[in-house]
Amino acid sequence: MMLWIFFAVAFIAFLGALGLVFHSNPMVAGLCMAVAMVAQGALYILLHVPFLGFFQMIVYAGAVMVMAVFIIMAHKSAEQGQEVSLTQTLATYLGAALFLIQAVRAVWSAAPPSFAQVDRAFGSIQQFGNVLVEHYAVPFELASLVLLAAMIGAVVMARRIWE
Amino acid sequence: MMALGPYLILSLFLFAAGLIGVLTRRSAILVFLSAELMLNSANLLFLAFGRHYGDLQGAAFVFFVMAVSAAEAAVGMAIVVAFMKHAKTTNIDAANLMKW
Repeated sequence: MMLWIFFAVAFIAFLGALGLVFHSNPMVAGLCMAVAMVAQGALYILLHVPFLGFFQMIVYAGAVMVMAVFIIMAHKSAEQGQEVSLTQTLATYLGAALFLIQAVRAVWSAAPPSFAQVDRAFGSIQQFGNVLVEHYAVPFELASLVLLAAMIGAVVMARRIWE
Repeated sequence: MMALGPYLILSLFLFAAGLIGVLTRRSAILVFLSAELMLNSANLLFLAFGRHYGDLQGAAFVFFVMAVSAAEAAVGMAIVVAFMKHAKTTNIDAANLMKW
């Protein structure tokens, strides 16, 4: 049962990723990205970490996608000008194919076993908070500084500095 | 019962798709979103291994990756907007001011 849910969600995530990479209309590609992000959030929930799944949906399918779609819509033809050269396209596909073959072979030969049973509390927000405070208190504070710096940086960058 | 393998394979495929997107799309926004896709595939890997070992530290890492990529999204979008005003296009081939 779990396996079928996983395959359905994984299929949707992969379709979304393909739409992002291959669809010619930037707007549709951006929305495909949102589909992939929501499906990934569902996968996080399947992996027993539900609040990160909801974070994923809110942060990516919500915040990041709204910004991206806003910029795509504010600009008329986002994808124009010359295409990527044939050499670069072929080299990219070749590189991606080699990477996939090698990595899938590694996973295949390692043959990882089934997941161990975990108790119901695993992935609860209490346990996660304990891990965060016990091991990652300083990085957590640093993350807030990074976000503050990014906020100020974004305002500074987006001002009319080019005229 | 789920196993680790399918998650790893899905994550690899998403990473490869993001890689192709970064190297073949020309719109700066879509290149940026493809990079986000690669970040997310790594997140999936973190969570799958965390579930495998019954350890929540992977989830903590995913949390920080999300925080950093949200910051990166804000700054990246601001740069794209500034570049759009400057060059009147979002085609990243137009960003050749500092090309060697």
